Amino acid sequence: MTLDPQLILDSLPLIAQGLGITLKLLLYSALFGIGLAIITLVMRISGRWYLSWPAQVYIYFFRGTPILVQIFIIYYGLPQFGFIRGSILWPILREPFACCVIALGLNSGAYVSEILRGGVLGVDKGLTEAGKALGLSSPQRFIYITAPIAIRLSLPAYSNEFISTLKATALASTVTLMDVTGVARTLVSQTYAPYEIFIAAAILYLAFAWISYVALAWLEARASRYVKKGN
Amino acid sequence: MADLAAWGDDYLLGTLVVLKVFVVALIMAVIFGLIGAAARLSRNRIVSGLAKIYVVAFRGAPEIIILLIFYFGIAVSLTALVQYFDPATKFVDIPPFWAGSAAIGLIVGAYMTETFRGAFLGVDHGQVESAYALGLSKFQTFFHVRVPQMWRLALPNFGNHMLSIMKDTALISVIGLEEITFVAQMATSVTRQPFTMYMTVALIYLAITTLITFGVAALEKYANRHLRGAR
Repeated sequence: MTLDPQLILDSLPLIAQGLGITLKLLLYSALFGIGLAIITLVMRISGRWYLSWPAQVYIYFFRGTPILVQIFIIYYGLPQFGFIRGSILWPILREPFACCVIALGLNSGAYVSEILRGGVLGVDKGLTEAGKALGLSSPQRFIYITAPIAIRLSLPAYSNEFISTLKATALASTVTLMDVTGVARTLVSQTYAPYEIFIAAAILYLAFAWISYVALAWLEARASRYVKKGN
Repeated sequence: MADLAAWGDDYLLGTLVVLKVFVVALIMAVIFGLIGAAARLSRNRIVSGLAKIYVVAFRGAPEIIILLIFYFGIAVSLTALVQYFDPATKFVDIPPFWAGSAAIGLIVGAYMTETFRGAFLGVDHGQVESAYALGLSKFQTFFHVRVPQMWRLALPNFGNHMLSIMKDTALISVIGLEEITFVAQMATSVTRQPFTMYMTVALIYLAITTLITFGVAALEKYANRHLRGAR
């Protein structure tokens, strides 16, 4: 009945064993997500319907369905097809870790794409017009003028999305991965002390969310160092 | 497809369970959000500090950990409590429906706290002052001046929180509630068609989230009807 603080402290190092997998999941899926987001962003702002529609369908699907179901579709669902089991990708798609990275990356890519689009739309039109007047080509205007400002404008929303991805990595425990949540669930089934162990796991996640928040806030401050204060 | 049709009834019942969890969790989230926002805005430092801790903890920890703390934690506490009165009891089970709804309600309630607080602070202070100057009581000012504008300001975020609740319902399958993700797990073990089964779940979620999105968009249009042309 009573909470045992000693048990929380004792279980922290045990649960921290799963930290490696959690961090790897977070890092890989965040990078994969950013890559996908940039590709889909370019597809969406290209102005060609055969590029922008697939991107929109992708974003619509991954934003409208639960991440847990997405992980299950990729990990349990894809092996239903013989051609996937026969393909050269099978050694990767067989692994729960890779499946989680793919699912989380696809999910985060859809959200980040929307965030980046918001950033691009937020760039003052006068700046790109000035670039045009200076004779910069359309790709040059995008790379040298729009992109750096859009990234700065997107950082606050990206910070939230990064923390969401961190929280979503906890779902990897449902496909047998031994991340922080997976280790915690195993410990609970052994000790039957759910409060202490899950609270210890939650503290680890909170600490990490806080570190990410501070790091991204620093990045944001650095990215806007030349912006006039008080705007 | 014939396999899928055989499971149609189960999916229908599962969808009803999802909708029930959604309604219960939404009501709880609004209640927790209103209490949280009132506490955050309170001048009492202890009250607003506690509300802040609530918001940080429930927004920063993974949803699945909070759900597991609720489900297993309450079961252990209740078992201990019942054993105190009746030592013969072995284990008290709590219904996953209520544990899940309460956990999701508390999580999204933390997000709603910030939304409602932002909406409260978003109402132009001059209007509140003029209401007082016209002799309206605090109560009248709140209901006739603040509330009609607050719901309009809170609506876009509120819509996103409804989508979060809808997508979080999939997590309750982890603690054994018979909603659609759980139905898909059962169906997969019989039919050996995981992709078909989980994709069906994804499409059901997509249909519901699309309906919510359209509903919120229509409400927003209605709420901002007097601003038409101004933007």
